[in-house]
Amino acid sequence: MRSLSKGEVVEQILLNEANLDLHFVQSDDSVLRLFVLNLSPADKTTVEIYVDQQGRGCRTEVYSLNLLRDEQRCSMHTHITHSANDGQSLQLIKFVLNDKAKGEFYGELKIQPDVRHIDAQQTNRNLLLTDEAEMRTRPQLEIYADDVKAGHGASTGQLDDQALFYMQQRGIGRDEARRMLIAAFCKDMVMPLSDEAKRTELMETIDRIV
Amino acid sequence: MKELLRIRELHASIAGKEILKGVNLSINEGEVHAIMGPNGAGKSTLSAVITGHPAYEVTSGEVLLNGENLLAMPPEQRARAGVFLSFQYPVEIPGVSMTNFMRTAVNERRKYQGLPELSASEFLKLMREKRKMLQLADKLQGRSVNEGFSGGEKKKNEIFQMAMLEPCFSILDETDSGLDIDALRIVSEGVNRLKNEHNAFLVITHYQRLLDYIVPDFVHVLADGQIVKTGDKTLALELEEKGYAEFE
Ligand SMILES: Nc1ncnc2c1ncn2[C@@H]1O[C@H](COP(=O)(O)OP(=O)(O)O)[C@@H](O)[C@H]1O
Ligand SMILES: [Mg+2]
Repeated sequence: MRSLSKGEVVEQILLNEANLDLHFVQSDDSVLRLFVLNLSPADKTTVEIYVDQQGRGCRTEVYSLNLLRDEQRCSMHTHITHSANDGQSLQLIKFVLNDKAKGEFYGELKIQPDVRHIDAQQTNRNLLLTDEAEMRTRPQLEIYADDVKAGHGASTGQLDDQALFYMQQRGIGRDEARRMLIAAFCKDMVMPLSDEAKRTELMETIDRIV
Repeated sequence: MKELLRIRELHASIAGKEILKGVNLSINEGEVHAIMGPNGAGKSTLSAVITGHPAYEVTSGEVLLNGENLLAMPPEQRARAGVFLSFQYPVEIPGVSMTNFMRTAVNERRKYQGLPELSASEFLKLMREKRKMLQLADKLQGRSVNEGFSGGEKKKNEIFQMAMLEPCFSILDETDSGLDIDALRIVSEGVNRLKNEHNAFLVITHYQRLLDYIVPDFVHVLADGQIVKTGDKTLALELEEKGYAEFE
């Protein structure tokens, strides 16, 4: 377990880790920013992330991008608990599933009784590149308090056919057009990184892989 | 004059429903043709079929560009060969920058023409030139393709892309719809500047208004999937006055 002290800011990148079991406890005004990036993942990846905002005024951000192909599997479970007032949490989880890949996202978001002024957002967006790829999404919101804002959204879709045709009509080959659209889908996952060099490097890696 | 585009007995359907019912059309280099006609006549279907939209099925007939069978080529190949469509509804592509999109497109066209790819600085210079020619605001280039553009900005952006790609055959599908008079002037001046003796335009419109600016050599009426009447620019005036009642 990792404890963030008062006002501490932690930014962590976890790249292609097949087995993650992370536990964080946050004290007052701390900021935790996690990037869980499975760009060239193992055949089977499991991620468990537990965050407990025990101090007030904390902020938690979880960005996760999972690029799966062949018969790769990845399950991503997040458990975020707001135990103190004035906390914010933001989760943006994306899967790009090619071939026969399977992805799963389970997002547990808990706001404890009598906790106030919470802003919690959970978003899961997925792109299926074949008919055989699969995605399962289970948001789990447990909200025991009143004065809070909690939202979740999930969408699973395919590449936009109209956009593909538009690009082809300008002379861009179908494969290249697909690649550009997938890269566009992934791009905002590394934008929040504060380290600009790292951001550029990861963006280039994503560009190379998709 | 050399024939550029030839459409012969073209039949096409979507979702099993026949929309084009035997279209014949020949367009020479240097010509501007206008197609007018009631809503639902098949005008956008014709542009979709010429450019290779996968939702439409060509059941018979042919489309030739410089004698080559267009219908056998994938959409991107038709575009590289010089077929351009200014979309009735341009598509927004979040996350794909206008610059990256346009550079890829221009270089594909150049490759097809046997020209070397443009360097980053040559490309930016070309963008600047064309923007200036069309009096376009710079701000649009920093954005994602068409994302958050107003209707008028989208249409101007279509003409900008046309200017960048220098196609030999351009279809303008209701590029004038929803444009104010200023934007209409920019769009039509752009077309007039791009026009030369080696390219041709097919202008689909509901309104005579556009044809005051882009003067057509021929005006065709498309109704119920066929070209039912052809005339010179005076036909457009006549249609404006009388409407399409006689063709419906
Ligand atoms: N996806 C579709 N499925 C079925 N019918 C369609 C589809 N798209 C267009 N149509 C029909 O095709 C006809 C021609 O449409 P369109 O080519 O857009 O006409 P225009 O551009 O002349 O107004 C219309 O009757 C329209 O309802
Ligand atoms: Mg139309």
